[in-house]
Amino acid sequence: MSLPVVLRSIFSLVILLFFLAGQSIAQDSSVGTVIQKFATAKGFSQVGKIIDELGELGDPKAAPALRALSEGNLKTDPSNNSVVIVSGDNLLDPVTGETISEAAGKSLKKIRIKNSLRRAITAALSGMTLRAQDAEIRRSAAQTIFDTSDAGQLEALEKAITAEEDASILSLMKQARASIVLNTTDDPAAMIEAISVIQERGDREALSLLSAFEASAEGEPKQAAAAAITRINDRLELWEIGQNVWYGLSLGSVLFLAAIGLAITFGVMGVINMAHGEMVMLGAYTTFVVQEIFRQSAPAFFDYSLLLALPLAFLVTALVGLCMERGIIRFLYGRPLETLLATWGVSLVLQQTVRTIFGPTNREVGNPSWMSGAFEIGELSITWNRLWIIVFSLAVFAILMIILNKTSLGLQMRAVTQNRRMASAMGIRTNWVDAMTFALGSGIAGMAGVALSQIDNVSPNLGQSYIIDSFMVVVFGGVGNLWGTLVGAMSLGVANKFLEPYTGAVLAKILVLIFIILFIQRRPRGLFAIRGRAVDA
Amino acid sequence: MILTHFLKGGIQSRSVLTMIGLLCVIAILIPIMNLVVPPASPFHVPDHLVPLFGKYLCFAILALALDLVWGYCGILSLGHGAFFALGGYAMGMYLMRQIGARGVYGNPELPDFMVFLNWQELPWYWYGFDQFWFAALMVMLVPGLLAFVFGWFAFRSRVTGVYLSIITQAMTYALLLAFFRNDMGFGGNNGLTDFKDILGFNIAAPETRAALFAASALTLALALLLISSMVSSKYGKILQAVRDAESRTRFLGYRPEKVKLIAFVVSAIVAGIAGALYVPQVGIINPGEFAPANSIEIVVWTAVGGRGTLIGPIIGAVLVNAGKSWFTGVLPEFWLFALGGLFIFVTLFMPKGIVGLAKKLSNFSRPNITTNKPQSSDGAIAKPAE
Amino acid sequence: MQVSSSLLYLDGVSVSFDRFKAINDLSLYLEQGEMRAIIGPNGAGKTTMMDIITGKTRPDEGKVLFDGEIDLTQHDEAEIAMYGIGRKFQKPTVFETQTVEDNILLSLKGTRNSLPALFYQPNEPDNQRIDEILETIRLAFRRNDLAANLSHGQKQWLEIGMLLAQDPKLLLVDEPVAGMTDAETAETAKLLRKIAETHSVIVVEHDMHFVRDLDVKVTCLHEGSVIAEGSLDHVSSDQKVIDVYLGR
Repeated sequence: MSLPVVLRSIFSLVILLFFLAGQSIAQDSSVGTVIQKFATAKGFSQVGKIIDELGELGDPKAAPALRALSEGNLKTDPSNNSVVIVSGDNLLDPVTGETISEAAGKSLKKIRIKNSLRRAITAALSGMTLRAQDAEIRRSAAQTIFDTSDAGQLEALEKAITAEEDASILSLMKQARASIVLNTTDDPAAMIEAISVIQERGDREALSLLSAFEASAEGEPKQAAAAAITRINDRLELWEIGQNVWYGLSLGSVLFLAAIGLAITFGVMGVINMAHGEMVMLGAYTTFVVQEIFRQSAPAFFDYSLLLALPLAFLVTALVGLCMERGIIRFLYGRPLETLLATWGVSLVLQQTVRTIFGPTNREVGNPSWMSGAFEIGELSITWNRLWIIVFSLAVFAILMIILNKTSLGLQMRAVTQNRRMASAMGIRTNWVDAMTFALGSGIAGMAGVALSQIDNVSPNLGQSYIIDSFMVVVFGGVGNLWGTLVGAMSLGVANKFLEPYTGAVLAKILVLIFIILFIQRRPRGLFAIRGRAVDA
Repeated sequence: MILTHFLKGGIQSRSVLTMIGLLCVIAILIPIMNLVVPPASPFHVPDHLVPLFGKYLCFAILALALDLVWGYCGILSLGHGAFFALGGYAMGMYLMRQIGARGVYGNPELPDFMVFLNWQELPWYWYGFDQFWFAALMVMLVPGLLAFVFGWFAFRSRVTGVYLSIITQAMTYALLLAFFRNDMGFGGNNGLTDFKDILGFNIAAPETRAALFAASALTLALALLLISSMVSSKYGKILQAVRDAESRTRFLGYRPEKVKLIAFVVSAIVAGIAGALYVPQVGIINPGEFAPANSIEIVVWTAVGGRGTLIGPIIGAVLVNAGKSWFTGVLPEFWLFALGGLFIFVTLFMPKGIVGLAKKLSNFSRPNITTNKPQSSDGAIAKPAE
Repeated sequence: MQVSSSLLYLDGVSVSFDRFKAINDLSLYLEQGEMRAIIGPNGAGKTTMMDIITGKTRPDEGKVLFDGEIDLTQHDEAEIAMYGIGRKFQKPTVFETQTVEDNILLSLKGTRNSLPALFYQPNEPDNQRIDEILETIRLAFRRNDLAANLSHGQKQWLEIGMLLAQDPKLLLVDEPVAGMTDAETAETAKLLRKIAETHSVIVVEHDMHFVRDLDVKVTCLHEGSVIAEGSLDHVSSDQKVIDVYLGR
């Protein structure tokens, strides 16, 4: 947790405490008096009355006692006719929460309740929180009433509605009122109005409420409810499509990150680097190491560990890539199949090296606070880490486009891609371009590893799980074309996520693989193919 | 008449003939050394080694199958493990049905894992596998059919080189994912195991294992004869022409897609047979056999021995797997280092593998004999017309 | 020009790659038994024209008819080869890992199916034909050598020999004397003239001495179209030809 978040929560806690303290001074006696009635209450009906009384008081001080009652921890001590809360080995005062004495040796009598009383307790609790100072408490209280549709809360709710100033909580309270009205009123007009209020809410809860109502209703209200259900369903479907697109883009950005380095090396050098996945893995392990160092020596700056891990991962993997190119691959140019085998050998060695150093099990890589958690837009739930990865992948794409189109290395890379011999004849040191390209592609894979460490298990097999998908993206998008890789990754990601609800994750993946296999047959050079005489001369 | 001529072409190479002879000898010798020679004798082969050697021979068949397409046709298949595994599954299904009511749940009809999944009846694709002849047919038909469909699409649209390698890898990966699913009806994650009988003989009995070993050795000899005959025929010359200059063969009127398809299908069938012999000897088949890494390992056996040499892949498969057995026994964590290093070393320094190296050395020591003889691979040497 | 009497009939053929017009409204007619030389600067579309005739490239528009009736745009390379069009590539393309003899054997006219090839037995007529061709292309003495070990000129001849073995109605020969010595060039011209006695031939060549040696009708291409056609003297005196090709 970062500092601001801690401060904020402490702040709100303090406010709450002040509020509670203020209330308790004024009403302590009356809450205490009512709770004391439990000691003499006989039977469920009397207990129920006391619960209702507490609810009407609307004092949060009664909450601990009510909760204890619901959990069966509120007991009476027949020896002095007092009411106590049992907490572990201690007896607590039901109002102040102070320890009175030890439970040992006392014969206490449990105040028995049944399910209907438990519901009453819940309603009473939410009623007293409806007017709490903290907006979040009020919001959740209103939500609870909406969920339970408890008619007993109507009065408290009406009072709260007149006092509420926050627009979003107000509408939530109105929806809660509508849910009560819907289940209690006999007036069709009131029902229809309630239905329209609930329909505005438009989420799954509204849907289940209306469905339950529709099943038992008749006449006009039934039709209104059915119409509202259809409209909510339509809306939800739309959101679901949105959610799928989001998931798809998220998966697509991961695929893109994993594949883009491969696309560069394959495009420029015609080299299949089977150790590409291991570069991703090395990047993820670099993140792990950087985070370990931060944890031990500078935990306060842990949030910034990724910022350091990114360039480091780039350097580490670019260096490994450079060594690979100079040590192995350059001897195998023009023999793509042999390159494929040799790089596979490298991948085995790298995997085993990492396994030997870091062990075969998953390593814990933490999310910095700015990458954890989620927020909601309508019915969309968006996690921060996924969002950042999409942003990051687009940034990588933009930077690569700039490198390719604006730098002299990029110009030389494009020249070598299009016609190696001609480029060489023009004085471009193709050797150097190859080495740089390979280092660049590997370095980007390393940075992808930093991103992937945030959403996936960091283990020596990390690379293996991405390599085939990356190939598919590159082949699908067309070789030597960054746009192709981007479009290919995103469309494969979205297609995968759209298939999943119908077929399950595994079958979706199989179908996508089969689709690509068939697609390559149709367009052997991918989506964005270069056409011309020189292509397969 | 035609057939004898065809096969005669296959044994013109001395090394192939030697290898076939050697295989026939060990097919007899190893079972005798296991069953007849008393355990005290230094010539005794202990029981646990027989299925291990048998396993090596199955891998040798597999490597040979790959050599037909990679060495002679230039198709680097990274999915040959899939054909092997499919053949293995077909055999495994037969062995499962042979268990009958002796399973844990005692269901005479359904294999244990189906009972466990609460299945009520046998899926239609399990029908017939209680018959050995049917299973044997499927061992060849299923991999052959997959290779046919896949190859027909791939070769027709002229997918070649690394593209082809990658989609063959995707093929085996897709099958891996599919076979992991329980509702595929092939035992999911655990695969098929706990076999009892094959053709009525106890599968764990030393005699059965010796017989399975002999069958593997003889099958390897037969496969070698078949493939050697294929590559020395005129068809084999076309195959190599397609490998070296595919578009040129088109302008001569050949259809490379058909030429390749035949080799691919034959290779897949041979791989399937290898898988079928492998399963009863190791006693299990599971989706792990579809793992892309396995298929790439086959490639390294072939490369180590020398691709396009027929006997090279056999030597490579046996040597690499013997090395693997040794390493995993002594230094398990170093096996991947060794394998990875082997990949790199062979591609960099031994492009023609052990056989190529041996040939080079013998040429070096006797330079006069081989003045302008091609340094082409053994089985691929073109013989003058008789 | 009568469609049915011509062996090869190209009319209004165009093809473009990424908006670049490689062939632009090209028309060309070849008589039965005729030998034609095609000249033109680099990028004039000579090789692309051969690609179109042999089915490697599909034209965007235009008619390509062979033997009066066969629409070549509807067939692929193998079918067109079987109709009787043989092609020698600019860069000699022979099967390097196979012997000279096997290169010819693979090219011999006959079925191209794999099954008969599996059970093929060497026979007297085939051997005779191979002997003849090896004699013609002067490679009999290298019969059992790998094609890879031949000299450049010998590879060119071997490829011509492979064409002969195919026994096509029409031979397309792309730069047969590139990289040859003068003596070899003269030999090749002799060889082609001999072949032309019994076959129709299209030769693409830059070497003007060689073209003069052939002594046949010449077509000059530029930017994908025919700019002059006729005897070599007629073409080489054409002002446009001098501007774009010969005059520099």
